[in-house]
Formats: sequence, C-alpha cells, structure tokens
Amino acid sequence: MERGELALYFHDELFLPEMKATNKEEALEELVDLFVKNHIIRNKEIVLEMLRKREALGSTGIGKGVAIPHGRTLAAPDVMIAFGRSTAGIEYDSMDGQPVHLFFMVLAPPHDRSNKYLPLLGKLVEFISEDQVRQQLLEAKDFQEVIDLIVGE
Amino acid sequence: MLSKQLELLVALQDLDCMLKEVEEVKALGFEAPGKEDLEKAREELAKKIEPRLLSTYNRLRKHYKRAIAPVKDNKCLGCFMQLPTSLSVRGRRDDEVITCQGCGRILYWLD
Repeated sequence: MERGELALYFHDELFLPEMKATNKEEALEELVDLFVKNHIIRNKEIVLEMLRKREALGSTGIGKGVAIPHGRTLAAPDVMIAFGRSTAGIEYDSMDGQPVHLFFMVLAPPHDRSNKYLPLLGKLVEFISEDQVRQQLLEAKDFQEVIDLIVGE
Repeated sequence: MLSKQLELLVALQDLDCMLKEVEEVKALGFEAPGKEDLEKAREELAKKIEPRLLSTYNRLRKHYKRAIAPVKDNKCLGCFMQLPTSLSVRGRRDDEVITCQGCGRILYWLD
C-alpha cells in the first residue's frame, strides 16, 4: 500500500483536532462518537464493546504518544480511520507508560474482500514511526495539512 | 451497556471473529496473551443470550462462517437477496431477531 492510498481512509468528518477525553475509556467513546454522529455507525455500544475486548487482549497504545485502537466489527460498513489529537495527552496504559497524543481508530467489517485492513494497519504504523511525522501531525493546522503530510507533500 | 438480544449476538460474533484472529496469530508461532480472558468474556456474553437464539447462532455458524449478515440497501450481504422494505423498520429497531428468508442468517441493518 502506498501512502497516497493510506490517505483515502482518512476523512475530514472523522478528524478531532483536540479531544476532550481525560482517560482511555473516554477516548475510545469520543472517537466512536465521531462515527455515530456522521451516521457511519448506528450502534455505538456494539463497537465500544468490541474495542474494550480488543484492549483486554493487549493495549493498543503502541508507545511514543500513539494509540491505534482497532478491530473488526459487524457494525462497521467499511474500513475507516478516525484521527484524534490531545495536546495534553491521555493516560492509555501504553506499552511505554507515556500518555497518548495521537489516536488512530481503525474499524473494519469482519471480512473485507480486498483485505485492506492488515496492510492499512501496517502502513499506518510505518507512517507514524518517524519522530518528525508525529510532531508534524500534532502541529497540523487543519485536516488538509494532515492529508498533505500523509501523502508526503 | 448492551441490552438487546441482537446487540448481544453481534458482540458475540465480533468476539468469535477476534478469537479466530488470535488462533491465526498463534498458528504463526506468536504468543497470544489474553486469549483466555476473551474466552471467558465469550462465556459470560453467551449466558446473557436466550438459549434458543444462541442455539440458532451456533447452528448457523457451523453452516456459514458467520451467522450474522449485515444488511445494506435492503439487501442481505450474506446471500444478496433483496429483502422486503417492510422488514427494514423492524430490523433497525434491533428489538427483534430477524433472519434472512433466503439464507437463514440473522440480519443486522448497517444503515
């Protein structure tokens, strides 16, 4: 997957420049709410339940201020990413114990025919592994700047 | 908090999907901590589902990979049969468990 393709999974209406959440549960809920408000997901509780169970398997706080809560659920019509930021940082039970500033919630249906879900997760992790990219994502003024960063312009 | 039977069934299928992925990861030789917790959670969830529905779910799961099929544009995405419009209003309420007249899968309305 190319970075340009990665950008296709981000949507303006699924971007939260400054999250209000102060803990992990609130962060998950705030991001799922984005999908609900935009009529992408009809049933919030089903998705939250799936994400909580996924977190029980191991925290999706992968360190360096990044969390990628993700999972497959029947309630998701397609593979999509919600992107949220927290300047103050949110305690998330991350692998390195550090608060999370960048959240990428990836939802996918149980089976996507073109099998985009795993390559997408891989590309996302690769993209945010650079220190400079994470800093730029935090400083991006609007959604277009986020997309420009992903595409690499 | 999940309360309706259909919500519980969808959550059960999501859990089964997660457990299957854990199995795949294990088969590749990776450790899969938390699998026991997931199995326990599945057990707890299954207890909340009416025995008759749970048995339907398990029977369908044996026959198809997934017992519950999403519905979009009034179409069952399990067998692609067009469903009667009258079903949609009932289906979106999540109050009752409706099965597809074509394939028998339990239906969940996406939109």
